[in-house]
Amino acid sequence: MTKYVAKLLNIREIPVLIALLIVLVVTGIANPQFLSRSGAQDLFLGVAVIATLSVGQTFVITMRHVDLSVGSTAGFTAYMIGKESGDHHGLITCLFVALTIGLLVGACNGFMVAYLKLPSLVVTLSSLWIVRGLFNQIAGGNTITDFQVPVSLGYLGRHSFLDVPYIFLIAISLVLFATYVMRNARSARDLYAMGSNPPASALAGIPVARRTFFAFLACGAVSGLGGAILLARFHSADSNSGLGLELNVIAACVVGGVAIAGGVGTPLGALIGALLLQSITLALGALGVSQFWQLAVNGTLLISAISLDRYLSLRVKPTRILRAE
Amino acid sequence: MKRINFTWDKGILVLLVLTIFVGSFITPYFANASNMSFVIQDIGEFMLMSIPVTFLIIAGEIDLSIGSTVCLSSASIGYSYRHGIPFWFCIIIGLVVGLLCGLINGLLVTKFGLQSLAVTIGTLALFRGLCYVLLGNQPVNQLPSSYTNLGSNAIPHTFFPYVSILILIFGAIGWFTLHYSRIGRWTFAIGINVEAAKFSGIPVARMKLALFMITGLMAGLAGVVYTFRFASASPDGATGYELSVIASVLFGGVSIAGGVGTIWGVMAAVLELGVIRSVLQLSNVSANTLLVVSGGLLLLSVAVPRAIEISRNRRKLVSKS
Repeated sequence: MTKYVAKLLNIREIPVLIALLIVLVVTGIANPQFLSRSGAQDLFLGVAVIATLSVGQTFVITMRHVDLSVGSTAGFTAYMIGKESGDHHGLITCLFVALTIGLLVGACNGFMVAYLKLPSLVVTLSSLWIVRGLFNQIAGGNTITDFQVPVSLGYLGRHSFLDVPYIFLIAISLVLFATYVMRNARSARDLYAMGSNPPASALAGIPVARRTFFAFLACGAVSGLGGAILLARFHSADSNSGLGLELNVIAACVVGGVAIAGGVGTPLGALIGALLLQSITLALGALGVSQFWQLAVNGTLLISAISLDRYLSLRVKPTRILRAE
Repeated sequence: MKRINFTWDKGILVLLVLTIFVGSFITPYFANASNMSFVIQDIGEFMLMSIPVTFLIIAGEIDLSIGSTVCLSSASIGYSYRHGIPFWFCIIIGLVVGLLCGLINGLLVTKFGLQSLAVTIGTLALFRGLCYVLLGNQPVNQLPSSYTNLGSNAIPHTFFPYVSILILIFGAIGWFTLHYSRIGRWTFAIGINVEAAKFSGIPVARMKLALFMITGLMAGLAGVVYTFRFASASPDGATGYELSVIASVLFGGVSIAGGVGTIWGVMAAVLELGVIRSVLQLSNVSANTLLVVSGGLLLLSVAVPRAIEISRNRRKLVSKS
């Protein structure tokens, strides 16, 4: 019995999941409104964008890289969908705009990191600014207002299936799909190898450059989708959309067990991390704690999550070596 | 003939001279005393922070929490002044708060063995959150003008703002320490190979802790300068400074992988970015272009050395065969 418990605790997502349940239950008892229908919808709506973006970020962080440009890309996409498609266009147009912008940014990042071998932090920091600069130039002081949002996208943002908002369903299906791929597809398994030991993975015959390129490409595409969801969620976009989102996304990944040092983590974990961060933010509100504490609590949570993760990985590693012997 | 070994930091110096030259050509408002004073004032905080961050990045670590530390230092000055503490003592509080922020980062990285990138994203949120906890939504505006005038006035009989004294002092200290002292050599050694540094007896953990603390302290000092310059303390100040500082350090030829860099390259890079911003603003180019230009320059700063390296390797291969 204890063996199973120990095994369960070794799954990196479990401690985060337990923390999430504790937050939900404790807050739910203190303020029943929190677990009501509208409370749950708040949580799901709030987490949809971050959860989507963290899928792409998981690919990238797993390879021991980082993509800081996701916030700019998502904001830019959100604005361009509203600007280009107007109110009469369908989902296909939105998707086309989103993927075009996302893939373009992803391809630029990927090319520079994978083939020119430039450090990803610098490359994506530059593209964060370049995309944001272009975005501001195009957007100026304009705002995409509710009636400019494509009807189909607006519908997805407003309506729910069995009380679960459509955009959360989209996000979670993306997360589950990506988790399945990262578990089973060989090309995605290679990302773990590359993150654990880059030189060894190259020597083992993994096409490191190609994998890196496609991971950044995927991250860009997902950021584009995230932009569409951002627009669906807020029904508006302006030149500040998605500002600073990248750090929230990385935070969700890290809390959810996607180690910044690479080689471990799943999109599902990142989703749980995003849910935990969001539910704590909402819980503070539900418990009547001043909103000014939210950011500080999130920061503390992030630090404790990586400390816990470090502690657990120190504890887990020896057993793995023993098992290998 | 002795071949000049091209490095990016020399390129920056050339670029800086070029920009000043071109700038004074395009706009008549650029090359005059009051604008120069404005440029220096504008980059004051960045200069002060980029010096310790250069050490930190050379040693292979990073600190994303400096923007929040600037704000927290500023916020604690405002908070304590609001609660009737004499202003000179508030400044000391601001500096101590900066030092404590650095201490927290340093302890988490060295004692807990955590990644500095992850830790400082956490403390970025934490310190910023504490700013809101301290000040709420109310910025503190009624600071004594006898002090805050120092932030906006120039030294009498010159066009240099007071912050240039700090820049000179700390620039000189940083330059000497990084390039001519044991601590500087240790910093490079840690950045090039942590394991080797450890085995050769360098107190790696202690060095890293000290670097984080100094970075925090300098961010605290930048917070004081920031408070003086804007004559106010608000909870949303200095947002995004961390990325600007790191970008200018990298732009100045410091490698993100650690082990490479010079102080004068970084200081020239900060100045260059300030000068470009001023030239663009004076020639009525929008702030958006500035974002694109900074991003492009940052990219160039890693791409050009890389291209040179590739072409050199190719030449070597050719000469071998």
